[in-house]
Amino acid sequence: MSIACPVSLDREKLKSEVRATYAKVAENPHGEFHFHRGPEYAARLLGYDLAELNTLPQMATAPFAGVGNPFMMDALPSGGTVIDIGSGAGMDCLLAARRIGPQGRVVGIDMTDAMLARARLGAAEAKLPQVRFEKADMTELPLDSGTVDVVISNGVINLAPEKQKVFNELFRVVKPGGRLQFADIIVGTELSEDARNNIDLWTG
Amino acid sequence: MIEALQQTGFQRVRVCNFFTSFSGTTKEGVARKYGVQGANFIAYKAA
Repeated sequence: MSIACPVSLDREKLKSEVRATYAKVAENPHGEFHFHRGPEYAARLLGYDLAELNTLPQMATAPFAGVGNPFMMDALPSGGTVIDIGSGAGMDCLLAARRIGPQGRVVGIDMTDAMLARARLGAAEAKLPQVRFEKADMTELPLDSGTVDVVISNGVINLAPEKQKVFNELFRVVKPGGRLQFADIIVGTELSEDARNNIDLWTG
Repeated sequence: MIEALQQTGFQRVRVCNFFTSFSGTTKEGVARKYGVQGANFIAYKAA
């Protein structure tokens, strides 16, 4: 995967396109998109437990558009602090909140207002007060240094035009001994310049 | 991705699982052409 945004690609336009795309998903998760959404997809292709997902508010699960399953790798620490980068409608945050328990803390970070609104309603409906959502860019997290046990994320870091800045910021907030366990896309071949400058490919 | 994480200072970086996340979507052909798939990553900050 390319780590830097091509010089010719307008980074603010890219962010704006990403926000617009995911606002549409939040408003109409069953609409036409070129990526899958929802709990059935998460169970069928990503290994989530559909029975567990069906216990969560549809408000949170219907717009889910991750590309992997960050819960497969290691158990989240009971009572720990977990952040979700690009939390969307909050499905993974609610799952994380159940795993860390009421003494823990989950912070979902997203930059799309419509997703944040859905996520907050979903967390309230699920009665998981240990979850909160913050509007922020993933290169400038509203968190103190060395305060996070685990960072999760699902199909979002690839959307960032400056991935190295994201990794630097994640390194800052993670505690010594903490970890990242996230899902994202990988690209098996070197992309052409045209492909790297295709904003539609970035926003997918 | 792995190299960038290592350069940042993360250790024991590895890919754990792969997913055919775009199977059945309108971008399936593009995903196949470029070898695009979902993957799980894990990386640790030294204690």
